[in-house]
Amino acid sequence: MARFEDTLGRHQRAQAATRHPSSQHGITRRGFLIGSVAGSAMLAFGVSGASLAAATSNKASASETLSAGAFEPTMWYAIGTDGTITIHITKAEMGQHVATSLARLVIEELEADLASVEIVYVDSDPKWGYMITGGSWSVNHSYQPLSQAGAAGRIALIEAGARQMGVSVESCKARQGRVISGEQSLGYGEIVAAGLERSFTEDELAAIELKPASERRVLGTKGNALDVPPKTNGQAVYGIDYTLPAEVEARVGKTLHARPVLPPSRFGCKVTAVDDSEASKVIGYRQTIELKDPSGMCQGWLAVIADNFSAAMRATDLLKVEWSKGDSYHIDEAAIQAEGQRLVSTPSRDNGSLMVDQGDPSALIEGAATTVESTFTTSSVLHFTLEPANALAYEEEGQWHVHCGNQQQSLLIPLVAKALEVEDGKITHHQLYLGGGFGRRLHGDYAVPAALAAKALGRPVKMIFTRPDDSRFDCVRSPSVQRVRSGLDTDGRVVASEHAAAAGWPTAALMPSFLAEAVEGGGKLDSFSISGADHWYNVGTQRVWAQQNKVAHEAFVPGYLRSVAPGWTLWAVEQHIDELALAAKQDPAEFRLSLLDAEGRNAGKSPVSTGGAERLRTVLKRVMEKSGWSERDSLPEDTGMGVALSFGQERSMPTWVACVARVKVDRATGEVKIEKLTSVVDAGTLAHPDGAMAQLEGSLLWGVSMALHEGTEYRDGGPVAQNLGAYQPLRMHQVPQMDLEFIDSTEMPVGLGEPGTTVVAPALANAIQHAVGVRLRDLPMRPAKLKAALTEI
Amino acid sequence: MANFTLNGKSVSLEVDPQTPLLWVLREHLGLTGTKFGCGIAQCGACTVHLNGTAARTCVLPVLAAEGGDIVTIEGLAENDDHPLQQAWVEEQVPQCGYCQSGQIMQAANFLKHTPNPTDEQITAAMAGNLCRCMAYVRIHRAVKRAAAIASERDTAQVMGQQTEATAATAGVGTFDPRATADAVSHSAAEETSHGKV
Repeated sequence: MARFEDTLGRHQRAQAATRHPSSQHGITRRGFLIGSVAGSAMLAFGVSGASLAAATSNKASASETLSAGAFEPTMWYAIGTDGTITIHITKAEMGQHVATSLARLVIEELEADLASVEIVYVDSDPKWGYMITGGSWSVNHSYQPLSQAGAAGRIALIEAGARQMGVSVESCKARQGRVISGEQSLGYGEIVAAGLERSFTEDELAAIELKPASERRVLGTKGNALDVPPKTNGQAVYGIDYTLPAEVEARVGKTLHARPVLPPSRFGCKVTAVDDSEASKVIGYRQTIELKDPSGMCQGWLAVIADNFSAAMRATDLLKVEWSKGDSYHIDEAAIQAEGQRLVSTPSRDNGSLMVDQGDPSALIEGAATTVESTFTTSSVLHFTLEPANALAYEEEGQWHVHCGNQQQSLLIPLVAKALEVEDGKITHHQLYLGGGFGRRLHGDYAVPAALAAKALGRPVKMIFTRPDDSRFDCVRSPSVQRVRSGLDTDGRVVASEHAAAAGWPTAALMPSFLAEAVEGGGKLDSFSISGADHWYNVGTQRVWAQQNKVAHEAFVPGYLRSVAPGWTLWAVEQHIDELALAAKQDPAEFRLSLLDAEGRNAGKSPVSTGGAERLRTVLKRVMEKSGWSERDSLPEDTGMGVALSFGQERSMPTWVACVARVKVDRATGEVKIEKLTSVVDAGTLAHPDGAMAQLEGSLLWGVSMALHEGTEYRDGGPVAQNLGAYQPLRMHQVPQMDLEFIDSTEMPVGLGEPGTTVVAPALANAIQHAVGVRLRDLPMRPAKLKAALTEI
Repeated sequence: MANFTLNGKSVSLEVDPQTPLLWVLREHLGLTGTKFGCGIAQCGACTVHLNGTAARTCVLPVLAAEGGDIVTIEGLAENDDHPLQQAWVEEQVPQCGYCQSGQIMQAANFLKHTPNPTDEQITAAMAGNLCRCMAYVRIHRAVKRAAAIASERDTAQVMGQQTEATAATAGVGTFDPRATADAVSHSAAEETSHGKV
């Protein structure tokens, strides 16, 4: 199945081929090079057979090849003569402690000391390959290459250490950054100081066996995250904190500060009048400029320029601007949802494609003994990263520098280049800590107005969005509409199922070239608008439609929000399964177990989804035990238990999640009290268990927040709720009791940033149904809606 | 001209008196540990101590701090070893970390007045500080741990001894973060509880 990451992989390979013409002639082998560069031993994947061949044929040493920059890793590291291991992180740190997990992968196989690690978050450069942090992919995608890189380093160090000590390689082992032979030992720094030169061919690399799980000393063990200390003393530098060093300002000019002036709606607005007479009274105000944007990101934008942001912020509030409004101003949430309803009632190739196609289920559903059909909806959701959007941009000698936290440098760069009308190579992105990502910073749109202002003024510009600016410019999670229908036979078995989902497609909006076919001849779709609907239950003849809601695209740029499509698809799937269980008069957890037969396409594939649906059965059984599911039929009045499962974002990298919610409903107010959330997760090997637990805690609470507290409407060109008065993410006093557990596993590590997010809302909805017999099909579940539904029955 | 004491040192600077204290700290004095979140005193990321009380600086004109004694995250403790900072590391609290300066400053002010807090008191004191990563379980645990560290340090001081707190981070497995949430229900009308200390 062609998925996003596969497409990215192809894109990377194509890029590599362009950069290194030799690899276009059938030489695509990739080896591993170790050599001395600037006094350190540098360890990297060589880009092509050509450079590797050169390195191994003494025409050029590994050191020379590395010095020339001929490598194509997504990651590499260097060992200094003092034993310091510098690991270059191409991923964005946004709360997931990604560098800690990735360092652990290297250190495990390298047999080094975690305390000797230094982390560098690298600037953008084509040599790193496609730079993206998302999809909970980082650890999973890095596991094989980084483990191999660590192991290759260990082998080279042992060989060199053995030579230096005059002992056999067989007598040596590596531990804690030293090569040890009997009573003798050498530190890695000492070995590096004497010079290290080694290359591994692709075959040699492939022949390296990673350590068996029983030999692991790092993965799965306790330990602190490397980025925590600077996040407790104010020293961590986020994008909003960054200022240019004095020596840079001496060359390129002092930084000007800016706040954007957003038009009434995202598309089609034109400025017709500007009056800054009041704004100019603010001390420090300089001017207001209109931004001309060849990239189309900023239509009808202005920027208020001042000596500091505070002045820019206050002056903007006093600025009087008139616009001619674009058509999109008049598109509201109701219009988007109406289009969604139309699309799912008659899904077709005209508006999207097939995600799953195992035959036409229509006749089977219509002819079934029992038919269950429901429509589910979700509203617009904001990312609300606590650090509002910001960027600092300047030009020096034809090269543009953009400083901001970002999750997808490889998308930001061409976008900013288009806006500035320069080549991609003229843009460098400099990474900083992200004060929350959650998918918002997969887009680099917020860097565009800063860059345009810097170009217009010929000076560095740091632009900061206020909270309402950030909300209005958010790439919101699209509202969605879904229709699910299935047929049951007389024994209560599911014979056929059809699911159609309509929403804005983030990939169509941000990077249409990455749309891909999910089934042969099915047409291109955005898997980020439908993943989750291709679940691991056996529901007989199954068809899944992804429909693109183009009305949503006219109003805003649909974004990737934590876990993306399963935020709505599981809302439908996991409630629909409960509806089917009720129709079949079966316990919903037992009913799920019966559908998880782990056969055919649900058997899983080694190594990433080994075991398939069987592993979903395991977490489900365990969560039933832990949550006291057997007492479900004897709960107090208005109290209920509901279950839901998730497999993360994609079948190609499943994280197996089960969640049971126990709730009590207050019939008088419609309020839902979560008495307890119990969740059991199998994420394979945990590179950094404490970080994994932190992600599970946070993602489940995100799930609670989006189920009960978050959600807004798109109206008058933007989301109605733009700040905390109206938009109310979960607070500490609303945190439920939680009982969480990871399955002890040595399988391949998978993702953890997102999978917990989407399982909570359907579990709660199922629990509410169990408590009071009312099923809520619109997200979020507000007390007023539940109260109204209770009065209807 | 604005004059105040900042982290123990007196400061005088030319600045528009209407400038919010947050931006004076961040832009004029280069102390960026205090963060800009919502701009309407609802998230708590901009919390500092003004004359010994937790204050939201995003809406506070520097004029209102004239002659005041201001402490920011950078000046909370020498060597960054305030019991809360130690507890924040022990409990591995931060995720993205953006709200944490404000969380710590809020908690420091709370613990000063409530050295032996109950779970409910911690929750009430911290409910006004938004953590978008929702690291609430650990924030709560760390505030409690910090109270214990402070008490251990007091005891050690009295005994003339040095104590070394044992590191404890949450590993894999089952845990019950706390029981206080039992007393809390979910309501649409919770705005009123924001900001209470």
